[in-house]
Amino acid sequence: MRFLDEFINYMSSVDAAKLFRMFWFFFIFEFFRFFLIEISTIIFWKFDSIFRKKGIADARLSLLKSQPLVSIIVPGRNEGKHIFKLVNSLKEQTYQNFELIVIDDGSDDDTAVICRNLEHNGMINAFYRNDVRGGKASAANLGLRYARGEFIVHFDADCSYDRDAIENILVPFFYNPKIGAVGGNVQVRNYKESLCATLQALEYYDTISIGRITTSELGIYRVISGAFGAFRKEALDRLGGWDIGPGLDGDITVKIRKLGYVIHFEPTAVCQTSVPVTFNRLIKQRLRWDKSLIRFRLRKHRDVFIPNDSFRFSNFISFVENVTYNLILNVKWYFYLLDMLFNFTSQLVFIVPMNIVLYTVNNFMKFLVFSPFRDRKNEGITYFLIYIPLMVFYFGYFLRIVRTTAYIQEIFFKASYKDNWNPAKSSRQAKALKL
Amino acid sequence: MSLKVVPQSIEIRNNKIEFENLLFFIIDSTSSVKIEPLIGYDAIIIDSKDADFAKLILRKIRGHYNPEFYLKPIFLINYKESKDPILQNMNDGIIHSYDQLKDIADVAKQIFLKTTQLDYQLVATFEAQMVKKVLNYMYTRDLKTLKPIPDLNSAIGYTYPEISVNFDSAEETQVLEILGWGEKEGLIWPDFFERIYLCNNCNGGFLSYREVCPHCNSSNSSAQDLVHHFPCAYIGPLSDFRNTIDNSLTCPKCNKALRHIGVDYDKPSIIHHCNNCDKNFQDFFVKAKCISCTQDIEVQYLIPKSINIYKLTKRGRTAAANGFLSSGREVEDIFGAISMPVFKTLLHYEIERIKDNTEQKSSIAIINIENILELYKKTGKKGEKSILENIVNLVRENIRTTDFIAFENSSTLYLGLINCDYLQSEADLLNLKTLIEKLIRNNFNDFEVKINFKVKLLQPFNKSEFQLDELTKELFD
Ligand SMILES: [Zn+2]
Ligand SMILES: [Zn+2]
Ligand SMILES: [Zn+2]
Repeated sequence: MRFLDEFINYMSSVDAAKLFRMFWFFFIFEFFRFFLIEISTIIFWKFDSIFRKKGIADARLSLLKSQPLVSIIVPGRNEGKHIFKLVNSLKEQTYQNFELIVIDDGSDDDTAVICRNLEHNGMINAFYRNDVRGGKASAANLGLRYARGEFIVHFDADCSYDRDAIENILVPFFYNPKIGAVGGNVQVRNYKESLCATLQALEYYDTISIGRITTSELGIYRVISGAFGAFRKEALDRLGGWDIGPGLDGDITVKIRKLGYVIHFEPTAVCQTSVPVTFNRLIKQRLRWDKSLIRFRLRKHRDVFIPNDSFRFSNFISFVENVTYNLILNVKWYFYLLDMLFNFTSQLVFIVPMNIVLYTVNNFMKFLVFSPFRDRKNEGITYFLIYIPLMVFYFGYFLRIVRTTAYIQEIFFKASYKDNWNPAKSSRQAKALKL
Repeated sequence: MSLKVVPQSIEIRNNKIEFENLLFFIIDSTSSVKIEPLIGYDAIIIDSKDADFAKLILRKIRGHYNPEFYLKPIFLINYKESKDPILQNMNDGIIHSYDQLKDIADVAKQIFLKTTQLDYQLVATFEAQMVKKVLNYMYTRDLKTLKPIPDLNSAIGYTYPEISVNFDSAEETQVLEILGWGEKEGLIWPDFFERIYLCNNCNGGFLSYREVCPHCNSSNSSAQDLVHHFPCAYIGPLSDFRNTIDNSLTCPKCNKALRHIGVDYDKPSIIHHCNNCDKNFQDFFVKAKCISCTQDIEVQYLIPKSINIYKLTKRGRTAAANGFLSSGREVEDIFGAISMPVFKTLLHYEIERIKDNTEQKSSIAIINIENILELYKKTGKKGEKSILENIVNLVRENIRTTDFIAFENSSTLYLGLINCDYLQSEADLLNLKTLIEKLIRNNFNDFEVKINFKVKLLQPFNKSEFQLDELTKELFD
């Protein structure tokens, strides 16, 4: 109690300038970028959507009238157990003019048996299998090579899709012909399974749904999720498809943007995915994701920082934004930590709790303010409300440490080339070519 | 060397040779192909270089329903090597000159000796009669096994000469049914030899297996290697990597040349392109096209059959000589006919009745359709029943309602003719014979059945069994 009194006394004695000096990291990055910018964009987006309504309705009409063939490609390894469920759920889709192409990247389980059977029974249009594993990119490319549709929709076998998901992800192509790729809204299906899953549901909702509306609106939307993305086949053909991963989802997004297309996020095209339920598995997943940032943003796509033919200002901004708020932000946070450690050593006992208070208040505000913008809720607001105080630890500490570890491993040891994500043969080639 | 080297002591007159009390008949290409006149000869020598002719005669004799024919010793002279399994396996010896007559005479005697030991008791069904015939043949020839022989002329690809000789090559599957029956009866024991698959439409065994497109069933497709270029993850058929200028392979995505398999590229699988429906697939269907009926069948619907080598069991060996009682099916119940036990009971009552009324005359009759087996060979088990039903119908319509009919087996039936004297009965039977002949002729492409019958007046002081036996003996003697 005495500490609480002291804490309140100390905090009330601090003036605005000093408050900013002590919590500059929060105000600049968290509050400004992730709250003010997002909220203003979202309010603008919501306001703007009133005017887009007619255009979107027209786009939907022309989609349904022209009925273009859509190729759904589902690359995967040892995913056979999910395919039957996926096939069945696809029967429910409001948009039905699609062909389903499943690509098996050298599975060593029953996948081939299951899928061959479904192919024979006409439940899958085509099943292609590489007996020798080639990596996710080559599997997706094999699907692309034999796809006949005007649009390619990329699915993950273990995800499930809203009835109108395919229809909704296609509508933007008819709304704006410059749109070359559309990302779907990925939500967490198993959010009740564990605390770890609940926290990820909040994260997905916050950074992935709301964050992507913002980045899409600002034209800096970075990664079309591999779980649910739609592409103009023409765009993919021009690129020769995906390059080897990890991070191939982000990579293809950047490359399509480089071709001059607009990348769009569609919040109404909803896909449900299962996230890791233990922190251990979550760490593994995130290490892989975060390593790809270094590899693809910094090593492979260096050219976005260099003005040349393919240089576009929004690409540049997208990169700066991404690099700033992921890599640099991470470094800056440690910089802030050191700043506090050396310059405010005695006040540290107050600064740490105050940071937690600020972040938590911010998280509550964000959650409450953004909730009305969610079209599709997996649970009432109250379910998540009690978990909000944990977000500061999850976001501020847990994910930050994982991310730092990944960056260090990748920058200094190029660890992702050793990752068993890709077969050794591909990784060796990629390393030699500095991909 | 002349064709017929005839030793001094042997005299051939009108194609006949008498040798050591045996009467041989020589069939040569100038002979008639009618075999019925051969019944009086002890053995046959087929003298022909024409394998087809020799085969025709051999088939006719061995395929005959009458043991007088099918057990007859047959020898070949001037035989020209033939691959036909029946010609090879169903003769009793091949000689090169008439000097060897002594040898074949000994063989013929051996066969006679065994033949006399046989029991010709009739068995009930078509399968039983077929098996009995085969067992008799095996017994007289000292054969212990029935071996399948690969044969292009057989519809199922294999021939069991001893049984197949009874069937047209197109009806070879009936052979398997008969063997199955013998196996079930414990007369023969199977040793697995080979598995075959038959058309589910026509039972044909000549199938052409093809890889067909799973979408349209066309076999018109071409296959290509898929090539995966590691550096750029491009993957596509080999043709994507070819250019029009030279033989080098270049990646269409990154324009680099493919250098070394396993290092910068590999071929992870094969892809098929259907030239008919333009679709691509990796897993073709295997379908079997039946050469006989052209039906295209998915392999899982083919009928699998085991081709076995059959050995005679102990029961089979005894049955070959002594006949056997089938534990399996008797002639199925035919509407309008009664069973043999009931027939005998009714006959017993009738005997009791005429004992008291000596002026009353009743008769019993037996009808045997000698060659009806030939018909069953064509129609199979189902046909057997419907033929019998038709015959019963016909008989019923032409006798009195008090008369009764029973089948002894599928070629023999008994009639009890009540209040009917010998003359009347004989007239009735003659009429029935004509009617049955006509029925079969009209329904089976002018097939001529041979019907024998015998009528006897029912005796008041003899047992019914005894009187039936007497009647039967008189017919077959
Ligand atoms: Zn057939
Ligand atoms: Zn086809
Ligand atoms: Zn390449």
